[in-house]
Amino acid sequence: MRSGPVILTFLVGTALIALFFIPHHKAQAINAELLVWATVIYAFALILGSISLWNTHARKIRLKTEGWPYSLVTLFALVVVTALGVWQGVGEGTVVSRIYNMVNSPLASTMFALLAFFIASAAFRAFRARNVEATLLLVTAVLMMIGRVSIGEFIWKGFPGFTEWLLDVPNLAAKRAIAIGVGLGAVSIGLKIILGIERGYLGRSR
Amino acid sequence: MSWMARILAIDRRVIFVLVGLGTAIPLLWPVNLPITVTPRVEAAYQTIEALPAGSTVLISMDYEPDTMAELQPMSIAVLRHCFRRNLKLIVITLYPAGPGLVEPALRLAAAAEGKERNKDYAFLGYKSGFQAVMIALGESIRQQFPVDFYKTPLDSIPILRGVNSYSKIDLVINLTASTAADYWIQFAASRYHKPLILGVTAVMATDYYPYLSSRQILGLVGGMKGAAEYEKRMDIFGDARRGMDAQSLVHVIIAGLVILGNAALLTTRKTA
Amino acid sequence: MGAELDTRWFDPARTNLLVGLLLFLTFLAINVLRAKRGGSIYIRPLAGLKALDEAIGRATEMGRSILYMPGLGSMEEVGTLASITIVSRVARKVADLGCSMQVPCYDPVVMAIIDGVVREAYLEAGRGDEFKPGSVHYVSAQQFAYVAAVSGIMLRERPAANVFMGSFYAESLFLAETGNLTGAIQIAGCDKVTQLPFFVCACDYTLMGEELFAASAYIGREPIQLATIAAQDWAKALAAAMIVAAIALSALGHPELGRLLHTS
Repeated sequence: MRSGPVILTFLVGTALIALFFIPHHKAQAINAELLVWATVIYAFALILGSISLWNTHARKIRLKTEGWPYSLVTLFALVVVTALGVWQGVGEGTVVSRIYNMVNSPLASTMFALLAFFIASAAFRAFRARNVEATLLLVTAVLMMIGRVSIGEFIWKGFPGFTEWLLDVPNLAAKRAIAIGVGLGAVSIGLKIILGIERGYLGRSR
Repeated sequence: MSWMARILAIDRRVIFVLVGLGTAIPLLWPVNLPITVTPRVEAAYQTIEALPAGSTVLISMDYEPDTMAELQPMSIAVLRHCFRRNLKLIVITLYPAGPGLVEPALRLAAAAEGKERNKDYAFLGYKSGFQAVMIALGESIRQQFPVDFYKTPLDSIPILRGVNSYSKIDLVINLTASTAADYWIQFAASRYHKPLILGVTAVMATDYYPYLSSRQILGLVGGMKGAAEYEKRMDIFGDARRGMDAQSLVHVIIAGLVILGNAALLTTRKTA
Repeated sequence: MGAELDTRWFDPARTNLLVGLLLFLTFLAINVLRAKRGGSIYIRPLAGLKALDEAIGRATEMGRSILYMPGLGSMEEVGTLASITIVSRVARKVADLGCSMQVPCYDPVVMAIIDGVVREAYLEAGRGDEFKPGSVHYVSAQQFAYVAAVSGIMLRERPAANVFMGSFYAESLFLAETGNLTGAIQIAGCDKVTQLPFFVCACDYTLMGEELFAASAYIGREPIQLATIAAQDWAKALAAAMIVAAIALSALGHPELGRLLHTS
């Protein structure tokens, strides 16, 4: 029963690998079409996701678990925004667009801004000279933090150049090494899935 | 509990307050610390500077409000530079919330440099599909964008006459906080051999250094600092330069806290 | 008028990539044969994955759950594929020990797949009736809306362990730092190099880069899976040797090998 999806995965995976090496315009048109199919599948999956979201919060409301009023707000927003979107569309000037720009966007920006506070507390806790590697990490981090902003140049004219060297040489060397490993790991897992060695995504580990 | 032990156990809310003050104070009382333009940003600047007047530039502004603090000032500076060089701009976005940011940036930059929509630039709006769009732009821009963001047919837009694919585009600029940059490198630069400049967030910038070394991209503007450098190069005082004072002070506060924490750790170890 | 249409059936500029792929397949075949013939394959210990067992055990004793986050990638991302292969094994261990887990998802396609994977894991463990429908649920496809929801789950429900496996972006520090506040044991694995420093700072254990891709094979310990890690290592050794050789030859005035390795 599982061989169907495995065979389909093998055929589509092999075809996509082949398309990478074939620049013929007809082959690339197929490639582009498959990308559109992926978008269509995602759109249908959003319906599944909405159902999941509804069920999760409806259960919380029904069982009156802690924080259930927030679930009520979530479901209300889901219904209202969906209805408005279907009725008026989501283009510029519509209510949904205004809700997105006036509510969602500032909230997203605010959450992103909180990262500045979190990095400060994480750095204070994590950058401790417990051993040689940790000391190296903390010294480099402090030098980078000072050298990458205007105040570093104010302290010492050579600071920006030194931090650029740190980024260009040791940092880039390490990143490239990790990137090579990640690339090979990605190829490995891709091939494992295409060849049917890894079937965990089907719900049966092998 | 000794003072040093208290420092080690400091409530994180104290750290948050210090960071908050470090951000707010320089914004209220600016210091205008010096900024040096780094080679990567200079390379981006010179690439645009070298284009003859009338060249066509495709700018893809692929970011949303959460990263606008770093990318919006960069976008405005780059747009103003292109306008100053009298380049023809075709602007698109691949993010649904993009138009809300692209439109104000274009309006601001055009007003500052005395440029007009459709005559000096065109905003084609948002298109979903990422790679599909980038590939399709190699075939036909009009197929992807039959009308612009304001519902004007592309054939009616003066600067788009005769421009329908990468073959008529002289430079591609991508300003993004996502993997869109990787796709622009893969398609615009590698497949269609178009010169490409990237503007990305600071945390992503180092990922693209190898592409700069191999000349797959011709310039790289990274984060608010990169944006501030670009503004400095353009001799304009925008949000990025304004924000660098705050960024500098917060970095000093964090570095200071780290040093203090380690001093406390060493002292408590010695006394233990 | 569009660009000239390409009518080539093979891009010669990608010959080196094709050769690399075929070499990798060869290494894979050799190691799979070795594994099938009973050859042992050594994998160095990964502290983060050893800690996963302890974390699940600890959660069971404390009567608290495991919070598993598969990242913000879509099914196209390899990090997400790796996360799905890991969650099937984690779910099996969780089911065996009678613990509970929650998987808040960012992508609805990923949610649908992980739901099936976790359900199947419980069935395989003979505890199908203990699977809680809704334990794998969709949250939001907006980055910071997802972060806000998951942070709320961490602070309210106080899971004993947070497992971050997959593709994470700017939210990595937010999630890890919030989890740190709750005192949960945190194990992370991310393929995005830019996010690794944040996980290293805020988590107890971090799987770096390719360790994420090796994790599912490491947990499962099946010989053929371990063979694929060995193939990966062979490919890495060959890549390192070729880079060193190319640099040395280029320095001696022979850049041909370096040009061969160049991709477009």
